[in-house]
Amino acid sequence: MSEPSVPLLRLSKITKRFGVIRAVWNVDLEVNQGDSLAIFGPNGAGKTTLLRVIASLTQPTSGDIEFAFEGEHQSRSRVGYVSHLSLLYNELTGFENLLFYARLYDIKEAHDRAAEMLAKMGLKEASNQRSGEYSRGMKQRLTLARALLHEPQVLLLDEPYTGLDQHGSRLFTEVLRGLKQEGRTILLVTHNLGEGLELCDRVIIQNRGELVFQAVGEHLDKSGFEKLYFEAVEKGDRS
Amino acid sequence: MNPVALTWILAGKDLKIEYRSRQAFLTTVFFALLILVIFNFAFDPGSPATREAAPGILWVALLFPGIIRLNRSFQLEMEEGTLYGLILSPADRGFLYLGKLLANWLFLMAVDLVVLLAFMIFYNFSFSIQFLWIAVLIVLSALGFSAVGTLLGAMVSTIRTREVLLPILLFPIILPIILPAVNGTQEILLAQEIQSLNRSVELLIAFDVIYLAAGFVLFDYVVAD
Amino acid sequence: MVVALYGAFLYAPTEREMGEVQRIFYFHVGAAWNCFLAFFGVFLGGVGYLITRKRIWDHLAASCVEVGVVFTTIVLTTGPIWARPIWNTWWPWGDPRVMTTMVLWLIYVAYLMLRSSLPEGETKYKYCAVFGIIGFLDVPIVWFSIRWWRTIHPVVITSSGAELELEMIHALIVSVIAMTVLLVTLVMLRMAMSLNFSVAEEMTLNVRHSDRRVEGV
Repeated sequence: MSEPSVPLLRLSKITKRFGVIRAVWNVDLEVNQGDSLAIFGPNGAGKTTLLRVIASLTQPTSGDIEFAFEGEHQSRSRVGYVSHLSLLYNELTGFENLLFYARLYDIKEAHDRAAEMLAKMGLKEASNQRSGEYSRGMKQRLTLARALLHEPQVLLLDEPYTGLDQHGSRLFTEVLRGLKQEGRTILLVTHNLGEGLELCDRVIIQNRGELVFQAVGEHLDKSGFEKLYFEAVEKGDRS
Repeated sequence: MNPVALTWILAGKDLKIEYRSRQAFLTTVFFALLILVIFNFAFDPGSPATREAAPGILWVALLFPGIIRLNRSFQLEMEEGTLYGLILSPADRGFLYLGKLLANWLFLMAVDLVVLLAFMIFYNFSFSIQFLWIAVLIVLSALGFSAVGTLLGAMVSTIRTREVLLPILLFPIILPIILPAVNGTQEILLAQEIQSLNRSVELLIAFDVIYLAAGFVLFDYVVAD
Repeated sequence: MVVALYGAFLYAPTEREMGEVQRIFYFHVGAAWNCFLAFFGVFLGGVGYLITRKRIWDHLAASCVEVGVVFTTIVLTTGPIWARPIWNTWWPWGDPRVMTTMVLWLIYVAYLMLRSSLPEGETKYKYCAVFGIIGFLDVPIVWFSIRWWRTIHPVVITSSGAELELEMIHALIVSVIAMTVLLVTLVMLRMAMSLNFSVAEEMTLNVRHSDRRVEGV
């Protein structure tokens, strides 16, 4: 794994409050090009908020985010985002959805690109069906297609495995692995310790807004991780 | 990217969705017709006083049902979180506003066309070339209504009481549209000669320009967190 | 304020035709000018918040709305009481001042309703700031459109042509100034209240936040 001098993304003392609730508290994080980072934590830990701050869907209450890209416009065109919300228009067909986003991202030859992504995700037959009629697995594949249309350098995924069957999960992991091999950066929020560990080389655990654990690649004991996870969370609860 | 193209892509998406389901269009038209009929019952149709009041009735029916589309315009973006999809994109937030605005405006004008025809029939006005001027008033008023409405509609989309709150917020603001619109229509339909139509049009244009500018600038604050 | 009260009730001679009721005029005018001034405060607060994101601007806006709506209500209630003897009508439709004040009142109330439907937080302050700006832009538009409409549809109002004697003008000026001072004082008091609340909030926050879990966040 290469170690570039400038991290792709740096968070310094990021805090996000909603009124009196502190969803993210004092988070420092550096992400390098090509990293695959899994973010674990119990419900309500603030993982989704953290990801949304990184995606610039939410402004942090305090703290700094630095992207290695120049300017906000650049950042937004290099980042892809997948959440349990599909971000798809139910009344439009699969093809129309992708075409819309392709044009929104100013992709050249949007028609071709949309068709290409549909084929890649195995959705060619359903491309003229309204996406509202898609099965859960198909929708998730279309969502991933949408997120990858503009070939983002950084992919942010928020619990993408929710509601997927074995087949869907497998496909998803394969696509992500392919992206990882291409050198793209992946941040994955998931409950699924197994999938997360399989895919990612770095792990952080968030609890009550704070980062309570960080580990990298070689130092990561994947087999004993579950025990470690519960320990870290309980330690955070007690403090 | 070409801003006109971007605006059109955004508006086109909305209009395509409305075309697919058609429900909102029919509901809005129906509501407007209902307003016309209610007033028909409330006032004696034969009396000259009602005829004098007709322009006012027309404009209530032309503008108020627009609320339905405004609510829906952002509700559909909340269903599957597509609003996030728009905000995440590199598109300038001001153009997200214009795109929504364009769709809302065209939608309202389409509804108003039907309402105008129904009005002519209910209130026994015969068609004449003057009606082109009413169309101009509708175009301008619908634009002002949509300009403020799109901004406020986005604002209330996250609030549970949005359906009640939006009219409360919107109607006081768009009151200045009603005077020139009704006055102009009165002249066209009822008066012997047309004197102040120019000024009516000017006032509407002024309103439109001010709120289009305000909306374009303020939309970012409303939609991004 | 005491000076104004003195001026209104004792100093100004009784106006010939309308009698004691006319004295309400002093409060009416003072309140009228101030309800617009208060809304300007709302506008300033809105712009200030959007630019600086400092909560004090929101406190300014919110305080101005609360005080302003009271002043506006005073105007709208004292108005008819005063108007009836002069114009022989409770509510002179088509008068720009009356209608604009009515619309202002509606906008104030709408603002309060918006405010109460939002949970505390940046979103609330932002949305209220935006609405405050939108509302403020509206007021002159309403004024001019009604004035224009008046030129086309002149409304005949029988006026008894009240004369303002010199002492009455004095009383009027003093009362307007007094009302302005009152407005500023009330706004500042209200702001102080809000600031205390938010300081208390901060302290609760810092003590223990761990008890809060955020669902689906």
